Amino acid sequence: MSKWYIDKGDQGDIVLSTRIRLARNLDEFPFPAKLDIAGKNKVNELIKSVLFSNDGKDFSFIEMKDLSRIQAVSLAERHLISPEFAAKKDGSALVLSADESVGIMLCEEDHIRLQVMKAGLALEEAFDIADKLDSMLDAKLKYAFDERIGYLTQCPTNLGTAMRASVMLHLPALTRCGQMNRLANTVSKLGLTIRGAYGEGSQPKGDIYQISNQITLGITEETAIANLKSIVLQLVSQERAAAAEIIKNPVEEDKIFRALGVLKNARLLSTDEFMELISVVRLGAARGLIDIPIEKINELIVSMQPATISAGNADASNASARDVIRARTVREALQ
Amino acid sequence: MLCQNCGKNEATTHIKQIINGDMAESHLCSDCAAHLGYSDVFSGFGLNLSELFGGFLGDMMPSITSGKTQRCPKCGTSFDEIAHSGKVGCADCYRTFYDKLLPSIQRIHGKIKHSGKTVSAAPEQPKIETKEEKIEKLKAAMNDAVAKQDFENAAKIRDEIKALEGGENK
Ligand SMILES: [Zn+2]
Ligand SMILES: [Zn+2]
Repeated sequence: MSKWYIDKGDQGDIVLSTRIRLARNLDEFPFPAKLDIAGKNKVNELIKSVLFSNDGKDFSFIEMKDLSRIQAVSLAERHLISPEFAAKKDGSALVLSADESVGIMLCEEDHIRLQVMKAGLALEEAFDIADKLDSMLDAKLKYAFDERIGYLTQCPTNLGTAMRASVMLHLPALTRCGQMNRLANTVSKLGLTIRGAYGEGSQPKGDIYQISNQITLGITEETAIANLKSIVLQLVSQERAAAAEIIKNPVEEDKIFRALGVLKNARLLSTDEFMELISVVRLGAARGLIDIPIEKINELIVSMQPATISAGNADASNASARDVIRARTVREALQ
Repeated sequence: MLCQNCGKNEATTHIKQIINGDMAESHLCSDCAAHLGYSDVFSGFGLNLSELFGGFLGDMMPSITSGKTQRCPKCGTSFDEIAHSGKVGCADCYRTFYDKLLPSIQRIHGKIKHSGKTVSAAPEQPKIETKEEKIEKLKAAMNDAVAKQDFENAAKIRDEIKALEGGENK
């Protein structure tokens, strides 16, 4: 079955993906940090029994202890699980749909972390799917909930709706113009947070950022989503304007085609070099300078992360072996 | 340990990250963590907010150190432990320490009135037995059968236990 990210989606020149996450806990059991392995397994079995009794034919159930380190890290690279969860073993499990668009982390920080991913900007659609799954679970399970402070979560920062909506954006032009610090400040005043989606710090790999809502108590899901959407659309139009300026400069145009030349011909590609060049090429493709489908580029960004290469290739155990495979795969994809 | 970003302040925030195909942990002070955008546990980078939140609650510590320690009846967590770790033990902790937690919740979110989705009426939750509990139950049934000298049945139950202990989950 083809994966969710093989799609371009709305605002696809700038927006890579949308994600909705809901945190839920069962009233009867202590939160995972206060629960032993037998208790966690019980919680997981309970949730599994509900999920698989209804609509579960499409889901697979993966115990984290059965995954290799590489497989677990690869799931985190694809943003299907959190890095914290990748480190978990006994007592944690993942429920994953065949197209990987729906993932449910069991006994992460909360009993349930349900996430739905969609290509492009699709906040309402992703929320709708998450909401329906949540309601299906709610019909059978007794959630930890309080009228006054909403869904009860291990960390009080998630109380209320316990919903995080995030949008992943490619912002090479705004980054290039040195606008990201200013934007991050503005955005944080609006109750949102922005940060690198791959790697840390102020200059994230591939100029890919993730913007999410920060406040969850006292604001409905619909309002939080509408706020996020309006900020994302503003960022999108600012990025388009900045990119249109940038490509008028012959030096920048040259850079785009040189980057494509390297990606089409290199015999070795490290993660860092790949992310730097693919970002430049994606800018060119998004603005119509280069005729490569955006979804092909998006798929490469997902599949060329190191652990994901290693998980799919038995002979890619170390970085230099991966660099060979990465260069070959990218070359073939861009022919 | 000093903060890996500024090298000046004590690192209080530990962030698990995926770097070059492997798991890595960064150690940051709370200022740098906030500055670098790691101020939220939820969207994938696994910031442990407990220190920040613990700091919030820390302000009120003196008022609660006197007298006998109150503990959550379900999970046994005390308010001190929540204040230090920033982690709440279970749903009943919120009920037990509601008034004490409220000021911090208000400082984090600004508001303290939930609006949005609510839960359905309490459903009849299915019961789940762990393997250990199943085995426990079967053993009791086997002893019962032996006591009644129903050895055929006892042998059958013994085989079931063996199958369960043999790692077959279902
Ligand atoms: Zn620092
Ligand atoms: Zn408790």
